[in-house]
Amino acid sequence: MSVVKLENVDKTYQLGETTVQALKQVSLQIKQGEFVAIAGPSGSGKSTILNLIGCIDTPTGGIVQIDGKDIRGLNDTMLTRYRREKIGFIFQSFNLIPVLSVYENIEFPLLLKKFVSKEQRRELVLHFIDQVGLSDRIKNKPSELSGGQRQRVAIARALVTNPLIVLADEPTANLDTGTGDRILSLMEDINKTNGTTFIFSTHDQHIMEHAHRMISIRDGEIVAA
Amino acid sequence: MVIIKLAVRTLLRRKRRMISIGILVFAGTLLLVFGETFAQSAVWYSKESIINNFTGDLIVYSEKSKEQPSPFAFTTPLPVIGDIEKVTTWLTDNPQIDLIVPIAQNYSILSVERNNKKIELPLIYYAVDPVLYQKAFDIVRIQEGSYFNIDQASGTFLQGIVISQAQNERYRQSYDVTLLPGEKATFLGITPGGSVNAVNTEILGIFEPALFKNIFDYINFVDITSYAQLYNFTGVKTESLPDSYEKAFSASGEDDIFALAEDTGFDSIDVDTLESEVISGYTMIAVKLRNHETIAAIQQEIEAAGLGVSTAPWDQASGFFAPIARSLNAVIYTIVALIFLIVSFIFMNTLIINIIERTHEIGTMRALGSEKSFIRNLFLSETLVLNLFFGGLGIAAAFLLTVLLGPSGVPLPDIVSQYLIGGGNLPLLLNAKPFIEAIAVVVIVSILATLYPIRVATKISPLQAMLNK
Repeated sequence: MSVVKLENVDKTYQLGETTVQALKQVSLQIKQGEFVAIAGPSGSGKSTILNLIGCIDTPTGGIVQIDGKDIRGLNDTMLTRYRREKIGFIFQSFNLIPVLSVYENIEFPLLLKKFVSKEQRRELVLHFIDQVGLSDRIKNKPSELSGGQRQRVAIARALVTNPLIVLADEPTANLDTGTGDRILSLMEDINKTNGTTFIFSTHDQHIMEHAHRMISIRDGEIVAA
Repeated sequence: MVIIKLAVRTLLRRKRRMISIGILVFAGTLLLVFGETFAQSAVWYSKESIINNFTGDLIVYSEKSKEQPSPFAFTTPLPVIGDIEKVTTWLTDNPQIDLIVPIAQNYSILSVERNNKKIELPLIYYAVDPVLYQKAFDIVRIQEGSYFNIDQASGTFLQGIVISQAQNERYRQSYDVTLLPGEKATFLGITPGGSVNAVNTEILGIFEPALFKNIFDYINFVDITSYAQLYNFTGVKTESLPDSYEKAFSASGEDDIFALAEDTGFDSIDVDTLESEVISGYTMIAVKLRNHETIAAIQQEIEAAGLGVSTAPWDQASGFFAPIARSLNAVIYTIVALIFLIVSFIFMNTLIINIIERTHEIGTMRALGSEKSFIRNLFLSETLVLNLFFGGLGIAAAFLLTVLLGPSGVPLPDIVSQYLIGGGNLPLLLNAKPFIEAIAVVVIVSILATLYPIRVATKISPLQAMLNK
């Protein structure tokens, strides 16, 4: 079953008097449990596709369906709720909240959801901290962690709500090669163990090799899927 | 809970900037609470002081007067109250009235002799029943001589004049005359009919006012009997005035009076039936009530009683004294409002800088599923936590200051103190109102100061999270 379906999607941005076409008639489908890389050079439209799948942007034309639901016409609040329920994010710059500890950063998305008890939260957070190998860093603040450790926290945070899809925007771009490899391996392991769908963007050939399927994009158009 | 945790930690992370704002909030709140406590105390003590030492709760004066009573209306004295006996009886019989003090306010000439030469000194004064006045207003502190040499047992007093020390000093400077107790003088006054009357009098004492020096340094005291004699306010009354006299008094014009003069049947008055009557010449009556709260009701009662008098409450009768305390209140509120306006702008500016610095963080929160209301509550919490903390410190400091300074009172420059409360330190009244108001002001200012920054913050798109730092 497709968890992501893009059909003839266009996305244009207005930059002053210039109209920039970021995506042109993009169509693709991603199935539950896939480990997919969206590859292409900078400015090719990778992030735009992730933004649309992540419900943080809406298409100018075409259809974007996430878990069978068309996101066109959803207002800001509905998109936010849909994002909270269905999507996990891993950012290139980790985007941890600096004033919260490792534990609290991972707990944060659960606090935004209703009906999750303190005990349930604790159980989930400790489970994912253990899964990303940071059990000894629970109380540390992000500033006390290495880049690799921060990205592990971000992965645990993305997974803790048990999302349908985890989107990772160039997750290894700010890491050295060895750490990047270990992060990708961790994501692969979780994909295998939990069956979570991973979609990540990259322009690094070495990282692309980890993907089970690669979607290539150039100048806003899919060139290989 | 997570919002409060985030708010507190974010504030602690930006400690230096937040402490600068906090100091302003602290100072503003301290000034608001202490300033309002000070102003309220000033208003309260000003009222008490004016009522107890100066005007009573209200002043009764002739309804014919075009002017309201004023402490300095000596050059244009109010008209004499018509039927003083009827008015004073009505007032004395009213159970809500504690004391009444009839006063005549006027100016005359005091003539003294120095080196066989007459020197005429201007004198402004209250003509009073010294016993009644002293009972109501304990303002006179005798430096030399006596205060009308009152015999407390019989309630009698000597006729004469009690001069203020400051007035005596002005006589010395301007006329090279220093009056001494026991000195004889002639009291000269121009009667309403235009003639000059003279009464022999004596300087009985020199006094210093206990309070309101800026009034009583200029006001002297004359006994009402001497005053009535000076102005011919002494008359006769009879129970059996002949009809022809009644007709004459009610004549509508000169022709009627001349016609009466030709009337051979014009009756003569039986002199034996005449009684002497002191009309007194009182121009106003200070009225002290048992309860200050009943001023308006008593005013209405007096004016409806058909006594031919009007009334002015203490704050109107005290001239510019009562408004001074109220103006002080307004000044304090204006200063506090300005401080909070400045704090609001600085706070707003700082919050916007914070928001710009935290665009990525806010975008991330939005991407992770935080609704706009979460962001709004986060910034509001940060502001409230900071402002309530420092505002709370300001309130606590104001409380301590009030408790510490309250009993002994706040020392004030003499000129301020004289105009505000008649003189001396200003005791502070501990009242919950300024404290409650301060909390409300801090909360309202916090909300107002965050309105625009919150608008900026909630407009941050989750797309910002995807941008590289």
